[in-house]
Amino acid sequence: MAEMKYNVPNEQWPEHPETATLEGKNKFVGFWTFLGGETVLFASLFATYLALKDSVPSSDHLLAADLFHLELAFVMTMLLLTSSLTSVYAVYHMRNNNFSKMQLWLAVTVLLGAGFLALEIYEFYEYVHLGHTFRSSAFGSAFYILIGTHGFHVIIGLIWITGLIIRNATRGLSVYTAAKVNTAALYWHFIDVVWVFIFTIVYLLGVI
Amino acid sequence: MAELEVKSMTETQLRNLRRQRTKEMRLQLTGFGLMIFLTFMAFGMVALDFDPTFIMGVVMLFAFIQVILQFYYFMHMKDQGHDFAKLFMIVGMFFAISFCVTFIYIVWIGSPI
Amino acid sequence: MSQATAQKRGFWSVIWDYMTTVDHKKIAILYLIAGGFFFVLGGIEAMLIRIQLAVPNNDFLSAGLFNEVITMHGTTMIFLAAMPLLFAFMNATVPLQIGARDVAFPFLNSLGVWLFIFGGIFLNLSWFLGGAPDAGWTSYASLSIASPGHGVDFYALGLQVSGAGTLISGINFVTTIITMRAPGMTYMRMPLMTWTTLVAGVLIVFAFPPLTIGLFLLIFDRMFGSNFFIVEAGGNTIIWEHLFWIFGHPEVYILILPAFGIFSEIFATFARKRLFGYSAMVFATVLIGFFGFMVWAHHMFTVGLGPTANAIFALATMAIAVPTGIKIFNWIFTIWGGSIEFTTPMMYALAFIPSFVMGGVTGIMQAVAPADYQYHDSYFIVAHFHYVIVGGVVFALLAGLHYYWPLMFATMLNEKLGKVTFWLFFIGFHMTFLIQHFLGLWGMPRRVFTYLDGQGYNAANMISTIGALFMALAVIVLVINIIMTLVKNEKVGRDPWGDGRTLEWSLPLPVPYYNFAQIPLIRGLDAFWIEKKEGNGEMLPAESLEDFHMPNNSIIPFVMSFGLFVASFGALYFASGKEWAIDAVADLPEKPWAFWVLVIGLAITFISMITRSFKDDLGYYVTKEEVLRDLEERERGAK
Repeated sequence: MAEMKYNVPNEQWPEHPETATLEGKNKFVGFWTFLGGETVLFASLFATYLALKDSVPSSDHLLAADLFHLELAFVMTMLLLTSSLTSVYAVYHMRNNNFSKMQLWLAVTVLLGAGFLALEIYEFYEYVHLGHTFRSSAFGSAFYILIGTHGFHVIIGLIWITGLIIRNATRGLSVYTAAKVNTAALYWHFIDVVWVFIFTIVYLLGVI
Repeated sequence: MAELEVKSMTETQLRNLRRQRTKEMRLQLTGFGLMIFLTFMAFGMVALDFDPTFIMGVVMLFAFIQVILQFYYFMHMKDQGHDFAKLFMIVGMFFAISFCVTFIYIVWIGSPI
Repeated sequence: MSQATAQKRGFWSVIWDYMTTVDHKKIAILYLIAGGFFFVLGGIEAMLIRIQLAVPNNDFLSAGLFNEVITMHGTTMIFLAAMPLLFAFMNATVPLQIGARDVAFPFLNSLGVWLFIFGGIFLNLSWFLGGAPDAGWTSYASLSIASPGHGVDFYALGLQVSGAGTLISGINFVTTIITMRAPGMTYMRMPLMTWTTLVAGVLIVFAFPPLTIGLFLLIFDRMFGSNFFIVEAGGNTIIWEHLFWIFGHPEVYILILPAFGIFSEIFATFARKRLFGYSAMVFATVLIGFFGFMVWAHHMFTVGLGPTANAIFALATMAIAVPTGIKIFNWIFTIWGGSIEFTTPMMYALAFIPSFVMGGVTGIMQAVAPADYQYHDSYFIVAHFHYVIVGGVVFALLAGLHYYWPLMFATMLNEKLGKVTFWLFFIGFHMTFLIQHFLGLWGMPRRVFTYLDGQGYNAANMISTIGALFMALAVIVLVINIIMTLVKNEKVGRDPWGDGRTLEWSLPLPVPYYNFAQIPLIRGLDAFWIEKKEGNGEMLPAESLEDFHMPNNSIIPFVMSFGLFVASFGALYFASGKEWAIDAVADLPEKPWAFWVLVIGLAITFISMITRSFKDDLGYYVTKEEVLRDLEERERGAK
């Protein structure tokens, strides 16, 4: 059975711990490849949304301009942008071999992400009350699948990062866990990238 | 886990590395400030009811700038060894834009934006 | 692991070994078995189609059953036969060609194969559970939303599961080729099989997500009451066509590029010449891959996208002929002046050039948008894509099967029977499909279950059916050949073709589970050939003989895929009898347990994912002593 050294002294900690091993490098390249695929996945959803935007069966359905509130979208954007920064902090401390601070910033990231998710659920709840549901119109379906797929990514990201915090709590930092943290951070940034396009294309361009 | 060779670092090397990372963190914070600023501007322009065609162009430009900042600084794409990451993202973005453009113009709908 | 020790270890332990394996060579065998099974299944469906169409006014199959059979034939052949069989050869060769001990993500490799197998089984269970999908392999939304019963649901869910497997395998190959190459194996020294795998992998990464989304939209419409394709609620069925073909066209190149790779290896080996214009070949491969994404709407010329869109996509389509032409000429120049050996793989390769060119030329004819209005939905199209897929991909699969068989099983398929297979298949193929061009031009539409007497279609259809019988005979001879070879089990040694050029042939047969005792040093293109000509015929090691690291086996991929298989049943029956459901399933009896099956299935997958990520899976070390023992044993065996 192979051994893994945890919590090595600072001088032993490589400059790029996340790609110090072949496995780490593989993870890094493989994950960027996956993100390339995710780009196209979300592009398909955006394209579908744009094609079906405001496409409703009758005039008594609410349209994008009637539904979206910029205030809520703005707060959500701020939460997610900040969580992206906090995960940058986590990676920064990981590279500096500072385990406890890394855990702390990961936890802050999860909290901010959970705040975002709560607001998104609140938003959905409100729309459903207004009669804008997944089944009410093609516009509704396209809206919920685009925002919902992003929300699903947020949920996966939250479970992932929480899981990492828990599993690493008893282990500490090694080049093995460093690669895991770095990958999760990349994923979290990518979620933020997608959100930038969502708030621009769906919310901002939806109400003008 | 594959073999890992770690050359022990000297005190000076370590200090230099730390300094370099702090510097990078400052850059990342600047990037974050810029992102927040761009977001404010984008939301502000829409809230103040500027001309829609103008908003559309500028807001999309802001989105792309934000994303580039996110990729280059937050996701470390500016560092060495990210050639494939760049390639995959650029190709992915290219396909993404072409999908959206075709969906907007040739799916038998008027002008959705 | 030799056959003898396998028998000693008992049947169930071998099964368990294959269920948990992460070794790319065993996964290749899994792909080969499962893909071969589905290939035979799809072949039987093809025979049913040809029997039905042999004579006019036939009632061998009913109209509804005929629709199911053509749908399943197309879907099975593309997703469950051609692609997995290519994956089999990729898995068997690529890590060996680049000098790696395994792929980048052995765990994901195993996950990929099990997702594909479970997806394939799920799709085919539709035959026993209320009828197969009947909306064509393209499953256009206007048809698939209206299709009554659960057939189309099997299609959507089955492809979703197996598609996820394909995507994972694609990422895996891309990463493997980027990070795991041996010292000296630069990009421009990689064998063409590796290059085409890399490009096909990239295509998979970019092409499968649109299919995933398209299938999700279909799944949500049919099973969860959304309105993407429901026109009354504002939906638009053209979205499906776009998403499907954004995936579907690159898919054609995902299939044909590795086929080109296999042929490039075979031409160089059996012409005993370096591949002509290697860098042009690489460039052409990349270019084909890129153009492949820019042409999807040529499948939709008659949709009414407008003259501008049609013109753009027509031009882009014609542009693909250029890199493909470069490849064809390079193969011809490789053979030119070579010292050709007519082995079975070489026969397929030689037959491939004219056959594939015919398919390519009809493709260019269809790229002309106005002309395409004439060919559209006629047998001309059927003839065209069978010329490309059978004349290109299936020839490559059969060639690859003979060529790589020794690498995978350390035995040789019988050459005589191989040539019988070849001639039967070659004659049968042209007999079946050449005449279909004319049938199409005479006006016979595709996807019709029968035709009237006296339209002039009778003789041509009969010829076509007889041709199909020849192909069936060829496959039977092939199966006999395989069984005979397995029973005889005459082991062959290293470099069994005698002219191996690339790294994989430098390995002892059967290939040890760790592939390379020492990672080799690559000194140029056709690494093994260089050592044969300039060295002592042995690869130079790039490292000293040390302990090295290998990945652990795991059952988790199997369980994970099984969870999705279970969840698919839940999703499938979820909408049955619900008031919000589409008409196609609203009248069926309600299944209250469906929701719980869905939850349980997803829970199985989720728990196995958590289990996986909470464990430190660090693999194990192969010791220097063990490797030395192996080397000594092999030396003694050689004497």
